[in-house]
Amino acid sequence: MKISFKKSRVITTVASAALVATAVIGIPSVAQAADPQCATASYVTQCAGAGADGAPYLFIAAANFNGTVFIWSHGIRPAINIPATLAPAGPYTITNAAEPGPLAASGDLSVVNALVAAGYGVAGSGFSRQSLNVKEALAANVELIATFKKKFPTTKKVIAWGNSLGAMHSQKLVETNPELVDGLVLACPAANPNDGLVNYFGDALYGFKAFFDPTIKVGGYSTDPVTRQTEQLANIGKVLTVLGKLQAGLSSGAWPDTSSPAGKALEAAGIPSRSALLLVGSMAGIPTRSKHVDGTSGPAGAAETYPLAVAPAVAILENMGTVGVAGSLLLADGELLAGGKVFDNSKTDYAARVASDRDIYSFAFSGNSAVDAMIGALAATPREKADAAAVAKIPSFVGLKGTVAKPTVMIVGESDEYAPASGAQWLIDSYGDQFAAAKDAAIAAAKSSRNYQAPVNKLVTLWQKTAPKYSKFTAAGSPDLSAAAGAGTGHCLYTSAQYIAAAKMAAGAVSTGKFPNQGPITTAAKKVGLSYDKKFRVPTYKSLA
Amino acid sequence: MTRTNRRKLALTSAVLAVAAMTASSLPAQAASDPGLTSTTIKLGITVPLTGIASPGYNKIPGAMKAYFDYVNANGGVNGRKITLVIKDDQYIPTTAVAKANELILKDKVFALVGTLGTASTKAISASTQLAKRGIPSLFVNTGFSGFADPKGYPTTFSILPSYQMEAKVMGKFLKEKYADKKLALIYQDDDFGRDALAGFKQAGITFGTYIPYASGSQSLPATGAGWISKLKASGAEVTVLFGVSSASTAALANAYAAQFKTQWVLGSVGGDATTIAATNKAYVPLLYGAKGFSFAPAPTDATDEYIKLFQSIYATAQPTQTFDNNVVAGMSNAFVAVQALKAAGSDLTRAGLIKTIEAKGASFANPFLTPLGYSATSHVGATGYWIGTYDPTGALKPDGGKYTVYTTDSGNGPVVESTYKRPAMPAKGLPN
Repeated sequence: MKISFKKSRVITTVASAALVATAVIGIPSVAQAADPQCATASYVTQCAGAGADGAPYLFIAAANFNGTVFIWSHGIRPAINIPATLAPAGPYTITNAAEPGPLAASGDLSVVNALVAAGYGVAGSGFSRQSLNVKEALAANVELIATFKKKFPTTKKVIAWGNSLGAMHSQKLVETNPELVDGLVLACPAANPNDGLVNYFGDALYGFKAFFDPTIKVGGYSTDPVTRQTEQLANIGKVLTVLGKLQAGLSSGAWPDTSSPAGKALEAAGIPSRSALLLVGSMAGIPTRSKHVDGTSGPAGAAETYPLAVAPAVAILENMGTVGVAGSLLLADGELLAGGKVFDNSKTDYAARVASDRDIYSFAFSGNSAVDAMIGALAATPREKADAAAVAKIPSFVGLKGTVAKPTVMIVGESDEYAPASGAQWLIDSYGDQFAAAKDAAIAAAKSSRNYQAPVNKLVTLWQKTAPKYSKFTAAGSPDLSAAAGAGTGHCLYTSAQYIAAAKMAAGAVSTGKFPNQGPITTAAKKVGLSYDKKFRVPTYKSLA
Repeated sequence: MTRTNRRKLALTSAVLAVAAMTASSLPAQAASDPGLTSTTIKLGITVPLTGIASPGYNKIPGAMKAYFDYVNANGGVNGRKITLVIKDDQYIPTTAVAKANELILKDKVFALVGTLGTASTKAISASTQLAKRGIPSLFVNTGFSGFADPKGYPTTFSILPSYQMEAKVMGKFLKEKYADKKLALIYQDDDFGRDALAGFKQAGITFGTYIPYASGSQSLPATGAGWISKLKASGAEVTVLFGVSSASTAALANAYAAQFKTQWVLGSVGGDATTIAATNKAYVPLLYGAKGFSFAPAPTDATDEYIKLFQSIYATAQPTQTFDNNVVAGMSNAFVAVQALKAAGSDLTRAGLIKTIEAKGASFANPFLTPLGYSATSHVGATGYWIGTYDPTGALKPDGGKYTVYTTDSGNGPVVESTYKRPAMPAKGLPN
């Protein structure tokens, strides 16, 4: 035993070093054949290949492979090229490069290296289609698992993991092919029961259209691919332009010159544009804390009035950059997949949507009367009516059942603007119902067997919470956008240590069949700046509330 | 192998021994809800201790603690002593959410108590999902009528009468006293003011001038001056201000500066002399002659047995602080909380406490001069007001030299003179 232990350590050390080197020299070239091309150096085997649909994949395992492989699903990538003129959304060129683990796309192989060095296998596909690609990702992942197992027949356990849309792919994989997956890690999951995300993006864009630029598209993109792409890029440009103008008018309250007649009337009535911007955020449920705006701090001289009057709108402004761009990309792609309009707000009661925020952000809204006026102004912009057949198809490309049947670790940022924490909360609540039902069933069974078998917890959520205060201000009194983003804000801003901790927690549960008690989880989470608290809650999607 | 087994055996024995020791040292009844032991109850409050809204309000938690300490020193509640964890929210709703989360998740309080302000209370309720988690929010310091509705806020209980009730009582007063005058209304443009508008409508009062303001904007210099310009232009002879005391300060100071005279009628939360003095002591006399509303005995009324007791407790606990409305509010809040905890019994749970207040809350001993309205269908606290006039020191004195209390509901019920006789205070003001 002592000898093998030492050997294992040697392999681990060498393998780790080899991986770092590999990252520099590059991976084997992608093959088009069914079998992957593999190369082994310093005890580490790396394989690259392409799936049946041409999706490139990559997998790695060392000589000390312990039989557990992590199948990574990367997050969303646009399906269209975005020019540099649309910065910061562009430049972007469509890529389906394989991604073996988190952070790897940015050249950070620390998570991949750590897992391989610890004896795990890692694998990931680039998927044959980008944007909303649940169908393609599902097929690619099923195929990749088989390919990995063929190459490494000692594989015993498979842990699916992914971030953002990739987390949805991982969850979808276990919901459709439970026999293939033993555990999950869902990071910043775009967990969505049906049309929660469609409404999130649609409501935000509708608000922008109604107030700030009537030519902004919420839906109804052309079916011709070239025209549709042109429309998408134009929409992104319009959203970014409006955001720039809103930023310029934050203090003065001036509205963009592209504002709708209803918006201009609100401006004439003395309602600042920042109040309307906040209303749009409230309509959609966009977090009122952002990377650089904590909502509780103010610059010198306005420490109390700024958080009350301005900060919530500034946070929406910062978050809307992501929401507006993503909405323009995803709604168009959703329509393409569904064959018609998918966003429908024809029956949405926006007054009800903002009701709970009215008092909380009263000063920033400019009071109740202003909220009433702004809600009233929405009447001037026709509502969006979706195609019923298209809506029925939404679950096929973004819908989940929310069943948690295998040990699952979630990492969730409290104020994620792209995949709102509301999605994770939906999954938590879904599992809460499942667990309660399992408990009831166990109690019922115990009445006859006189042997109570308590259900085992299968879901651990590690929260990346936002601190009460993290904003920095420039000498001019504006939020300092060059400062580090606050924890729990932004989309999937996790450290390698956080990913590794979640992965090892899932692997432990897969190995033993259950998660440890609260204490060890809490300690492990705390070590990497995460928080484990089963009582912590965030509001669910506004459209589902 | 042998060594391993011996070690395992030793470990098992040690574990068993510890388990046995722990079991024998555990209280007979281990509490299941957070914040409880067999000897303690942990409550939490978030209030503005600093910031623009802090003057006056920052005395509330100290007053509460003074009464809790008094109860603790006399045996506690059902054998448990109360600890109060206090957080500063600066009257910023998002900060209040963060602080409430700390109280719930970090400090693990049994219940929130005395949360202050409509916006903060709403923000906490929505963001921390109190109802879904079954966390009691006891006796919140806001009169928004929504908090009295158990359908919307099943775990929240008000302590104040609703603002709607207040506007109805005020409406009756305006009709009787100032029927022939030009009326104006300055109101906070949120649910606070919305309640007021509903109450005035029910009372059949129409104002010649309506001046809404966004909560917080009263701190901007131009806001108060703008109000006075509008009032002057309208020729308002009687001006009702339904807002917080910092709004009253802005109105009174700007009216004085502009030499504008009107009969001020201030809502119950808008006439606190301590808050006004915090801006400028010279503004306090500007309250003189203004009409005001209250449901508790005046803090200067040493003939009232509750006030007498509270003065005595507070003088010991906070000897350098002035005894004022805020202190009465805080101690009254703590008093009712103790009554509720006592009534809930030794087998205390969050759910049990809520049920107890609904079932027995209307009969809790309390200092107020109106009945309490707690029931399964209403979570409202006090249910009426007496009317008074501010003296030059900023003290509200009852008109006619005695408390004439008017009671009503938050619906279409009439405003009637109350026949309520407050029961005698429990011996030494302790839970009985």
